[in-house]
Amino acid sequence: MSFTTLLKFNFRYYKRHSLLALLCLMGISLGVGIVIAVELINVSALASFSSSIDFLSGKASHSVVSNYGRIDEEDFRSIWTDKSVAAASPVIDVMGTTVETGSDSIRFLGIDPFLDSSFRAWTPQGADDKSLLIFLSNPVPAVYLSEGLAKKHKLKTGDQLTVLKAGIEKKIKLIGMIDPSVSGSLTENIGVMDIAAAQELFGRTGRLDRIDLVINGDPEDLRNSLPQGLVLTDANSRKATLNSILYSFQLNLAAMSLLALFVGVFLIYNFSMFSVLSRREDMSLLLTIGSDRRSLIGAFIAESTLLGAAGSFIGVIFGYLVAYFSINMVSSTISQLYYQVNVGSVGLTFPIVLSGVAVGFVATLVGVILPSFEVAVTPPVIGIKRQSIEDRASSLKGWLLVLGAVFFILSAFCAWASRFSIFWGFTSAFGMTLAFALFTPYSLSIFTHHLGTFLKKTFNSLTGFLAARNVKASLSRTSIAVAALAVALSMTIGVDTMIYSFRTSVADWLDGSLQGDIYISPETTKWDHPLPEDLMEKFGSDPRVDWLEKYSTFDIYIDGRLAKLRVLESEILSGKARFNFIQGSQESWKELVKGAAFISESLGFRFGIKLGDTMKLPTPKGLIEFPVVAITRDYSSDQGTVQIDRNIYRKLWGDDRVQSIALFLRPGVSTEEVKSDIIAEFKGLERTVVSNTQMRDTVLGIFDKTFAPTATLKGVSLLVGLLGVATAMMAILMERSSDIKVLGYLGLNSGQLGRMNIYQGLIMGLFAFLIASLCGMALTYIIVHAINFRSFGWSIDIKLNPWVFFETLSLTMAACFASSLYPTFRLMRIKSAPALKEE
Amino acid sequence: MTELIRLENVSKCYSSGPNCDVFPLFSVNLELDQGSRMILLGKSGSGKSTFLNIVGGVDTPTSGRVFFNGTELTALSQADLANYRRKEVGFIFQSFNLFPTLTVGENVMLPLELVGTPNKEKAIELLDAVGLPDAWQKFPELLSGGEQQRVAIARALVKTPKLILADEPTGNLDQDTGNTILKLIDNVCSLNNATLIMVTHSQDALWIAPRHYRLRSGRLELETVIN
Ligand SMILES: Nc1ncnc2c1ncn2[C@@H]1O[C@H](COP(=O)(O)OP(=O)(O)OP(=O)(O)O)[C@@H](O)[C@H]1O
Ligand SMILES: [Mg+2]
Repeated sequence: MSFTTLLKFNFRYYKRHSLLALLCLMGISLGVGIVIAVELINVSALASFSSSIDFLSGKASHSVVSNYGRIDEEDFRSIWTDKSVAAASPVIDVMGTTVETGSDSIRFLGIDPFLDSSFRAWTPQGADDKSLLIFLSNPVPAVYLSEGLAKKHKLKTGDQLTVLKAGIEKKIKLIGMIDPSVSGSLTENIGVMDIAAAQELFGRTGRLDRIDLVINGDPEDLRNSLPQGLVLTDANSRKATLNSILYSFQLNLAAMSLLALFVGVFLIYNFSMFSVLSRREDMSLLLTIGSDRRSLIGAFIAESTLLGAAGSFIGVIFGYLVAYFSINMVSSTISQLYYQVNVGSVGLTFPIVLSGVAVGFVATLVGVILPSFEVAVTPPVIGIKRQSIEDRASSLKGWLLVLGAVFFILSAFCAWASRFSIFWGFTSAFGMTLAFALFTPYSLSIFTHHLGTFLKKTFNSLTGFLAARNVKASLSRTSIAVAALAVALSMTIGVDTMIYSFRTSVADWLDGSLQGDIYISPETTKWDHPLPEDLMEKFGSDPRVDWLEKYSTFDIYIDGRLAKLRVLESEILSGKARFNFIQGSQESWKELVKGAAFISESLGFRFGIKLGDTMKLPTPKGLIEFPVVAITRDYSSDQGTVQIDRNIYRKLWGDDRVQSIALFLRPGVSTEEVKSDIIAEFKGLERTVVSNTQMRDTVLGIFDKTFAPTATLKGVSLLVGLLGVATAMMAILMERSSDIKVLGYLGLNSGQLGRMNIYQGLIMGLFAFLIASLCGMALTYIIVHAINFRSFGWSIDIKLNPWVFFETLSLTMAACFASSLYPTFRLMRIKSAPALKEE
Repeated sequence: MTELIRLENVSKCYSSGPNCDVFPLFSVNLELDQGSRMILLGKSGSGKSTFLNIVGGVDTPTSGRVFFNGTELTALSQADLANYRRKEVGFIFQSFNLFPTLTVGENVMLPLELVGTPNKEKAIELLDAVGLPDAWQKFPELLSGGEQQRVAIARALVKTPKLILADEPTGNLDQDTGNTILKLIDNVCSLNNATLIMVTHSQDALWIAPRHYRLRSGRLELETVIN
């Protein structure tokens, strides 16, 4: 019989089982969709900052940046006059916001229009002398803005804008637009100012952020002659630095998407298995009347491939939509946690489409291979009973249990091996999930057997008893569905427990380190906008204030890698804060004053620094050694934080800028009263002056926002898992229809049959939940110790939240109930049908 | 003798359109007393199973009325019909139809549990009666065809039904085993004074009932009466 005839024959089948085919299609598309979405988001985020770097570098071949965060203006001349430098331009590069543009942040560039003209196309070059004069010397600082941004907020040339600088308002004047034809595909909002105005406006007098260069000699010559602490970089290495910062974040996102795909494969497998089993009779018949086995399997694989193609296609579209609608959320998370990205759009490229389709095909093939194998080994005897397949499944379950145990041990080993590479951490998580999936058939068989007896004996529930035994009877079907659901649920439980533990640990850390009554900590802190001096003077001497504590955090480069330097006041904090010392103790504070450093866990992890080591920090006075006297738990940055005393910083860096302060009030003083005094005195600080609890809530709010995308992924995998349950129930219905009919002959009415069917769904859900609870806890352990610690370097105390389990259970039960409704409706329509087919 | 079953002008037709395509039963009339037995003969497709299904309350006739012990089955709701099957009717099938996941004991207990009187002694007693005293814990797949059919008979009779409907109970069995099964059915029917309607193709089974009916073109004809 010809292949096409067989194919036609098979499509007849899909017409009759269109709902099932649809469910399978959804499984593929969901899996593929999530993979595509994550890839799109990752690629767009990367593309966004790399186009931004390209644009900002202009024709510069290299840049000079500082290891300790700022370049002394004095150094410019010596670099400019170096013989290998053809052109040089000093740059102030700072993020900011204005009242008029609201939440759209702007990258302000301060440039020297004469020096910069050889670098960038967008300097106010074409401008006439008059506007150049305004640009250089307007009493209100003048700015050119991206045309798109101006349009969006209906700003016109001549308008005044209010820059929020550390919460203090400063006026600037819009004097022109940057043509989009110049800025090209750049999605970032740009504001260009004169360098002197920018230095003044952002509190950077006497310093530069960067010097852009065109080099015509050997860059090595320049590199060697640079002043202490300054380094030569190029656009590519800056991209690589930013890219590596995002690495862990992206890895985690990708792992989540793979788990979703994992569940999708289960669903495909489930469907293919079912479609083979339910067509076994047809196939035997086809074989008997002369079609050969090879073309039969061929037709079967071809049909699955077509399904895979259709599913992948829909998946790509679905993924694009998910990415399109979530890109803003993700890029604001990245901006919040790492650095500014401004993703304008997601671009579906051919390689991404191809990878999505490939993923869909591989998943389909994996799901289809085993069932086709079944066809291949089954003798062409008409009327092979379903039972013989179940017998085989039943004898297989012991082997699966053994295999599961092997994977369990391997997973534990991989968790240990994660100290060598994060790859093993993820492998461990997959292995653990697989192990529990393999445990499912055996344990489900035992569970349902005893549950059935228990339901009958204790509750005298015959339908419950029959339901439990039915689940056991179709083990080949139900165990796969239960395993798929359990995988999805354990991921939910594992990730939720991790998030809960993480949040609890973060909250503890906040409680320990936030001891002040009032915080003045502008959102712009992360952009290095110093607080005004008079603010500190005023409140430092206020009789209601017991202590005023100053904080600053700067970017520094240690061995070429970005880290955070936090400057704090030991004398105040040592008595107030309760740091969580992983190593070291309260005594270590005494060393800090003398010039030692505390490092965060993540810094110790990333740079391999241990207690008692000395580390070299770049300062304007060259590399200075700091003994490490304590390692603290600190979740403020996964780049790692070095903490040193303010007096030491002032001495070595010659700088006393403050980004945020904490006020410790005298007993009996009203927090609200002091707060409103500050606001009255310093306009623009309304949103910046917060109480201790507000501060804590803000940080936890950011935390929650960071994990918001996880919830979406969780929902999708849960959905995929539940589709599996619905498919399995339809399968049971079709395969065991004769048993169900005999029950009708014995006098079960349709209400009882319906209840029995719903119980089946609930039993599967319940068991999936039980497996998932165990697997989820194992996963939490792996995520916390083998993934989170290895990618971010911070430890988390694992805490179980009963609510997570309760919520998952009720969600599962509700969803299983819902997914059993349609099969039940179908079942009750069978009635006690007259034709009890003789086999 | 009290009348147990009465069929009045019972017709059944299967149709795909407005007209009847298949007419397995056409205006069938029949009365059966409590404890009496009949054999139903007929070619394949003549409507024998349809007849059993209607009498057993699994199927409903297109027209006509069916009475059981004075109750009109054709007027009952689906739920009441289920209740009727549960209490009064024992079905025996050609292909045994035991539940593979239930043990032999659980299979036999099932009808009692449905009625709400899970009487284990009674089930054991019946397994004894069909000659399988040691099979209680076993799963059906471990039993031979004949043994499975014995379990099916025990399952049909455990609730002491007034009516036993057997659709070719020996059809899948060899002659010797078939005979044993027939004797068993004969025994338990006499013991319970149950009414038996049995469909068979086998000449060796005819002795079990004195009256032999044949379905031909939808008509029920009395063929033989043995004294
Ligand atoms: N649900 C149905 N829809 C349409 N026709 C049906 C249906 N059930 C049975 N029939 C038809 O009714 C007729 C009687 O069927 P029935 O099963 O009663 O025959 P039977 O005498 O038991 O045959 P056999 O000896 O082969 O078991 C057959 O022609 C069959 O095709
Ligand atoms: Mg029949």
